[in-house]
Amino acid sequence: MSLLTVKNLTKKYDGVPVVDDVNFQLTPGKCVALLGPNGAGKTTTLRMLAGFSKPTNGTISFDEQALSTDIRNYIGYLPQFPVFHSWMSGMEFLVYVGQLGHLSKKEATARAEELMERVGLKDAKKRRIGKYSGGMKQRLGIAQAMINKPKLIMLDEPVSALDPIGRREVLNLMHEIKKDTTILFSTHILNDAEEVSDELLLLNNGKLVQQGSIAELSNLNDSGKMVLEFTSKPENAEEILQALSVVTKMTAYTYKIELLTTDVEAAREQIFNLIHEHRWPITKFEIAKTTLEDLFMKVVSA
Amino acid sequence: MQWSVIFKKEMLENARNIKWIWVPIVFFIFGIMDPITTYYLPKILESVGGLPEGAVVDIPMPIPAEAFFYSVSEIDSLGLLVIALIGMRLIAGEMKSGVYELVLSKPVKYTNYVTAKWAGFVLLVVTSTFIGLLAGWYYVNLLFGDLGFDAFLTTFLLYSVYSLFFTAIIVFVNTWFKKPGMVLFLSFLLAIGIDIITSIYGHILTWSPGHISSYVNDYLQSGTIPSEMWGTIGTTFVLIIIMLLLSIVILKNKEK
Repeated sequence: MSLLTVKNLTKKYDGVPVVDDVNFQLTPGKCVALLGPNGAGKTTTLRMLAGFSKPTNGTISFDEQALSTDIRNYIGYLPQFPVFHSWMSGMEFLVYVGQLGHLSKKEATARAEELMERVGLKDAKKRRIGKYSGGMKQRLGIAQAMINKPKLIMLDEPVSALDPIGRREVLNLMHEIKKDTTILFSTHILNDAEEVSDELLLLNNGKLVQQGSIAELSNLNDSGKMVLEFTSKPENAEEILQALSVVTKMTAYTYKIELLTTDVEAAREQIFNLIHEHRWPITKFEIAKTTLEDLFMKVVSA
Repeated sequence: MQWSVIFKKEMLENARNIKWIWVPIVFFIFGIMDPITTYYLPKILESVGGLPEGAVVDIPMPIPAEAFFYSVSEIDSLGLLVIALIGMRLIAGEMKSGVYELVLSKPVKYTNYVTAKWAGFVLLVVTSTFIGLLAGWYYVNLLFGDLGFDAFLTTFLLYSVYSLFFTAIIVFVNTWFKKPGMVLFLSFLLAIGIDIITSIYGHILTWSPGHISSYVNDYLQSGTIPSEMWGTIGTTFVLIIIMLLLSIVILKNKEK
């Protein structure tokens, strides 16, 4: 069961592919990050999903149905640089877009009241949007994306342009929203993706290069790297470790030895035995997980 | 429902940025400007002086119908400029600023979007034209003699057909470009182009919207509506509908 299925999605500008044969599915209830460097095609992908841009090729289906109706009935969308009617108050704007999404004035007002409270703009609801700060506008943007209770919320770089406080506010809000709504958001900031998302779609040069949960991706890309640190390095440690069959490569530093192993489980057991047996003065033993950053750098530089 | 939401928003926007105040005032001024200056011109010339001794200033006073047509002409030139200036951002402005990304990510029917915006624009333009012409008619009666209210009303109704046509041109051009300046320029180019073609091939194109102001003049001179006027009204409405339909289609299929 998938909420959104994208098949062979391609967008070309003047024959040059910006999004190139992208396939993915969104599971209901998950928060998915579309991660990639600038110019990877994240915004173009989201704009095609929101109906602002027509794919050159490929299909988008919602709720496992080919799109016969307007996709805009099911989604909430926050563009990268949201612009509001600055002469309206936050409340007026929410009621306006709520009514555009076929709510009655009464329903839209009730929903807007609730959302203004939820995004922490209750005190500013009657203020003109022109006087809102960047973080407040972004939160209002999220509120407007949620007003029609969409099945999927798409946020384009929701935190990238914000200062640390604004960023924290929006991330907390996303934690809150993901309890009841599926989220697809784009970002080029690894920490943000790591913090709120359940799944990752890694996009580079218009191509989807990796996808899966963060745990899956780091396991998949695990290097089997281990690090040992000592108060003082025992003389024979290097030779003993080198002799282990599971160790493929070893780099020794003054107080530290890095190992590449073929089997992490077996290596760990053998090394623990050695530590015990030779009474090595160990201060640290680490199985180095591939971080999102390693993964990102690997993919981007590949 | 959705249509009226957009229409009301347009009304509210025009109220908030005081277009509902300044546009009628400007049209009021355009309406009274020509009758008043024409009436007082001999007196102004006399008081300014500089005329040789014995020179007789003898400018024939226009008849009321002529003087009223001056008001129409003023609104037909300066008025159109103001209309284009306030209309050049109608859709292009929302595209350029980026507000459309929030508005059109909601399930908004493009038919509603275009026609509701046009209707809000038309209401402002037609109301202002009414006020301008009414003021002109009042001053003509005051300064040049009697002109019946029915002459004013007929003039207003006939000329409004051209106002509708011009606003439809502006909406149409709004869907081509994001630059308001470009919309202003091309709207005028289109309207002037139609006028030029009409004046060259006028004998064939008797139903062209470019004739409306001259038919209004004919009506004011003779007191009867020229028979070609009805065909012209028909053609103009057909053109308006075509332009609005094209605007909807263009906007719908545009890469935004």
